[in-house]
Order: sequence, then structure tokens, then C-alpha cells
Amino acid sequence: MSEVELQTPFRRRAERALGDTFLQQALDIATTKFIDLRREAFDGFPDGERLRDRARQIKEATLQSLDRHLGELVDNVERHGGQVHYATTDAEARQIVLDIARRTGAIMAVKSKSMATEEIHLNEALEQAGVTPVETDLGEYIIQLAHERPSHIIAPAIHKTRGQVAELFARELRRPGLSSDPEVLTKVAREELREKFLRADLGITGANFAVADTGTVVLVTNEGNGRMATSLPRVHVAVMGVEKVIPSMSDLTVFLALLARSATGQKLSVYTTLVQGPRRPGELDGPDEFHLVLLDNGRLRQLAGPLRESLYCLRCGACLNVCPVYRQIGGHAYGYTYPGPIGILATAMLNGSRSVKDLAHASSLCGACADACPVRIDIPRMLIELRKDVAETRIASRPERVVFGASGRLLERPRLYRWAAPIARLLQRPFVRHGVIRGGPLVFGPWTASRDLPAVARRTFQEQWPELEREAGPS
Amino acid sequence: MTTRVEFFDRIRAEMRTARALFPATPMERPARPAETVEIVRRELSERWPATLERFRVEFERVGGVLHRAQTLADVPALIGGIARERGFERLVGWPPASLGADLERLLSAEGLAVEIMPAGEVSESARGDLRPRIARADLGLTGVDLAIAETGTLVLRSGPGRPRSTSLLPPCHVALFERSALLESLQQFGVFLEAWHGDGEGSGGAMINLITGPSRTADIELTLTRGVHGPKEVHAIFVEAGLRV
Repeated sequence: MSEVELQTPFRRRAERALGDTFLQQALDIATTKFIDLRREAFDGFPDGERLRDRARQIKEATLQSLDRHLGELVDNVERHGGQVHYATTDAEARQIVLDIARRTGAIMAVKSKSMATEEIHLNEALEQAGVTPVETDLGEYIIQLAHERPSHIIAPAIHKTRGQVAELFARELRRPGLSSDPEVLTKVAREELREKFLRADLGITGANFAVADTGTVVLVTNEGNGRMATSLPRVHVAVMGVEKVIPSMSDLTVFLALLARSATGQKLSVYTTLVQGPRRPGELDGPDEFHLVLLDNGRLRQLAGPLRESLYCLRCGACLNVCPVYRQIGGHAYGYTYPGPIGILATAMLNGSRSVKDLAHASSLCGACADACPVRIDIPRMLIELRKDVAETRIASRPERVVFGASGRLLERPRLYRWAAPIARLLQRPFVRHGVIRGGPLVFGPWTASRDLPAVARRTFQEQWPELEREAGPS
Repeated sequence: MTTRVEFFDRIRAEMRTARALFPATPMERPARPAETVEIVRRELSERWPATLERFRVEFERVGGVLHRAQTLADVPALIGGIARERGFERLVGWPPASLGADLERLLSAEGLAVEIMPAGEVSESARGDLRPRIARADLGLTGVDLAIAETGTLVLRSGPGRPRSTSLLPPCHVALFERSALLESLQQFGVFLEAWHGDGEGSGGAMINLITGPSRTADIELTLTRGVHGPKEVHAIFVEAGLRV
């Protein structure tokens, strides 16, 4: 996201999304569909729950010996004839890729969808260096032509209609009078991108997993762009966060059984591509050079940090679909590379707590994300930690801290709470509309502008309790 | 630039203060995967008809088309049918050694010419010449290493005479397989992966492809569309009497 965009406060970005009727509709249709597909996939998969526990364990076990597994991965990739590079920061990762591009004389790079390269803003850097980056996932391609950002990590262009895509293709690809039939549009994209795949010097991908024991980088796609980018250009560069390493092939099959089911409800995605270094002697296709860029960019600090558990993430997008906040505002409003509940944690990891002082509250803590997560990441727990951190380090505004601090003390003391209820009922009177508080002093104004804060009830539960207890009789 | 030593020093420094969230172990691995593979194969050889049926259901669910041939002699007519129905003229295929069948000879009886991929190392310029021809082909013919019933997946290892692009660039992919390729589950596949690795994967190529149906996308208004980058159609021909006869 551009700096200009981030200067718009989260509240405004969320308001903008909430006012966009088309976006609301598209988000509702897409997330509902993904939720249904995921549920069906797990309903017909009795092993699912056990495998989720297993997958969670594998992730934790890998972090406990991360140095050993990454070391093995490096040794094995090098044994296959690949080269491994180490990036502590995003700037360093960009520089590594640019150096490879420069040395190999690359002028065009085809990219298979990758959150890691989005995270390091690689495309802008490549453009500045005179290398044309071409996104090849259909959704990403649409977004790139439109100069926009993905709104969903699995379906990046859900916010665009077929008509908008047809217009975009007609204009950008000089194909006037294009039908808006997705079949036709997909065919056009195939032709355009096929030509680029065959011409490109550089294939850039992420990695869904990397198997330490065999030195294998694993890519999962439905369109086949992952296969194209790793088989046609003469150089392949894979950029992966250090947390993507897993010990063995036996672990890989556990994750494969969960990833597609969680993301799209498929048993497996169409293409699972296992890459073990550059083309071998006697092979007709495959790159002459294979490079693996290991990316830290704030991850390693979290090994001992409060966000350690978020390093388990498979980037399946399941937590986005079930999140009541994401379903309302969509990916753009979050403002950073990673949207949704896990995106808030990823943003804090990459950019520090300050970057999520508003986002940490963009959650109702309902727990749907943790229920949907294939590795059962306790996202709400970490969001609360973040909120605490934001409050304790005084990143949050003073009035916000005062009000939340006071509410906290009130909730801890039942007797005080009893006294407070009638007072609150009196004070809230000018601000209540249809049972919801709108406006008010201190943080109440901005806080309630895009949120529903329920008014204190005519009779609180606490006030009703003695009566209820009498009615129920002795238990 | 960060060096390997610096990077790993950093990891170990962070690990020293890190606390495990809970006791955890990765998956247990087969002690002797090659032997386990043999056991799995023996067990499966008894119940291949059920495995094939499960494969058919799953393969069709993901948009694949399964054909059954009694013997290799029935295969050319099947391929000829697919090609003629669609007006395909340009066919490319794996060489006999990796396909398990000399289809060039058999298909010529059907009046179809197949360009056979080289079986070993070719010059840089020959590689350059071949690629556009594969990209222009209508149909790519390959073998498979394994077929996973649970997911309807074809597994293809790359290597000499087993180019990856044959199953990727043409809009139609046709794969031949026999009962020895059939596996029931992903978990069994994991054992094969361990075994392939154990027997020095240097003998093979640099890529293993799992193919589960034709290429697909739902990126425009969630409308399912096939054949974005990979093939629009995937056919699997099961040869009952086996290949290499």
C-alpha cells in the first residue's frame, strides 16, 4: 500500500469500504462460498481434525529446531545445485533478487502469486531496475493491469465485476469490443501470458512449503502458473519466509491434505509442484539456475516473541472468510500486504505494534478465525496481547487508554458496576439511537462512528439475576 | 549482504530465549521406506479394482476424463478419437522408454503423427527449437508414476525423456497408466516420496508434479473456468493388461 493511502486513518478506510455497496455484495458472495466449500470439504473428511492437530504440532516442532531444519534445507538445496541467499530485511531481499536479475541480464520476470514478494514490494523495485514484472495468477494479473492491490489472498480480484475486467482488458491489452464472458476473458489472459512465459528470463515464485530433508520447494497453484514459472524461464528465484520450512515429506502430505481444503474446499489444488534445484542433465526443460531467498523480515524476532504462534500460518485465507470484520470491510481497508485476522498479526510482526494500533481493534474476538485455522492458531489471544502492548507502550491515544482503563476497572468490580449502570443509563441518553450509542465525548465519537456500541440495557443482566435465580428455584 | 553464518547465528540467538508453546514432534517417518513401499504395493495389488473405481470418481470430480483400454492395442483408437473429435493435428509425446509404449508406431496406423521428445540430453539450440513446437502442440502424451485415488491425482516425475512441458503447454493432456501406478491415499504417497528420496533421487529429474484435473481458476466473479495456463482437458487412459507388453 502506498504511503499516501496509509496516511488515511483505518477508520476512514473502513468507512469507505462500508459505503461501497458492490464491494459489500462481492465480499458476501465470495466469503460465503468459501465458507461453504471449506465446511463441505471437512465434513467429508473424518481424518481432518486429527490432521489439524498433527499439522499444528509439526509447525511448533519445526520452530523448536528451526536452526537444524533450515540448515538441512540449505545443505540439500545446494546439493541439488541451487544457490541460497539470506535476507534479514525486505530491502536486502529486494537487492538479492535485483542482483540476480542484473547478473543474468533479465528484462522480464514472470511471477507466480506470492505473498512474500508482495510483502517486500518486489515489483516496484524490479520496475525501477528496468525489469518488467508480470503477475501471472489471473486475479493478480487483473489487479496489476488495474494498478490496484489484492483484496483477498486467495481471490485477489473479487472486488471487480466481469464487466470491469472486460473493459480493463479491452483498454490495456488493446482488444476492443471484448465480451465479458469469464471464459473469453480467461482465454485472452492465457494468450497474453503464454507469450510472456515463453519470453521471460526470470521466474519468481514464493514457496508454500520447503522440505528440509530433501531440499524441495513446494508450490501449490490451480492455474498452472507455478509450473510455468518454474519450468520455462532460465532462472528461477523462490522467495520464502523462514517459517515455511518443514522437516520431511511425511510432514508435507499432512499439510497438503489441509491446505486446499481450508482455502477453496478442494482435496488438493490442481498443481502441487515439487522443485528440487535446477534442471538436471538430460532434462529438456527447467531453469539453468535455481535461487532460494530465505527471508527474515521480523519473523525471527517472534521466535521468542508474543506472535510466535502466527509463524504457523499456511496463508490459506480461511480466517479471512469467517471474520465478521473482514467480511464487511474487505482486504483493502486493512491497508497492508496481509489482510484479515492473521494479517493484523503479520502486519505487527513486519512493521511493529505501532502499525496496528487501530487494526488490533479490528476484531470482535469472536474466535471464528481460530476455529477455521487449519493449524488452530489462537489469533484472538494474540490480538489481545497486541491491544495490551499498544496500551502499555502508550501507542494508543490517551483518551482511549483512559476510557478502556476505566472500563476494565469497572468490569473487575461487581459492586461498582452495579452503581455504574444507572449512571451510564442517564449519561448515554442523548446519544442512544435505536438501542445503539452514536457519538459522545472522548473516544466515544470516533469509536462509534463505524461501530455499533450497544446501549446499557433498561435492566442489565446483573439487575435481572436475583429474579431469574428465584424463578429457577434451587438447583 | 547477510551471510549464512550471520543468519544462523541470529536464529540461534533468538532460539536461546524462545519458549516452546507445547511439547511437539514432527511426523514419524518410515524407518525403511523402500520396504514399506513394497508392502504397500503388494497390498494394493489385491484390491486394485476398488482403487481404480475410487480414482475414477475423484478424477471425474475434478474434471478429468478416465478411459479404459483392455490392452495397449486399444489405446491408439482412444487417442485417435480424442484428437479427431477436436480437430487436433499436432501431438507430442514421451519416448517409448518413459511412456511404457511405442505409441508413435501404433498411432501412425490411426493416421496420427506424434513428435517424440528426446530421450536424453540435447544441445541448447535443439532445446530452444523444441519448446515452441511443444507450445504449439494440441495434445501432450505422457506416462505417470503414480495415480492417487483419494484425490484423483496424477503424479509425474520429470527426468530425461520425461519433459515437464509435455503435460503443461498443450491444451490437452493424455496420460497412460496401469494398475501398478494406483495408490489409495496421500499418506501412501508420502511413503513413496520418502522412498524416492532414499534411493538417491539423483536418478530422476528436478521436479515432481502432482496434477489434479485440468488447470482452473475462479478469479473472475468466482466463475469456474478451465485451462488458464495449463491444459483445459486432462484424460487418463487405464490399460488393463498393463503397459510394456
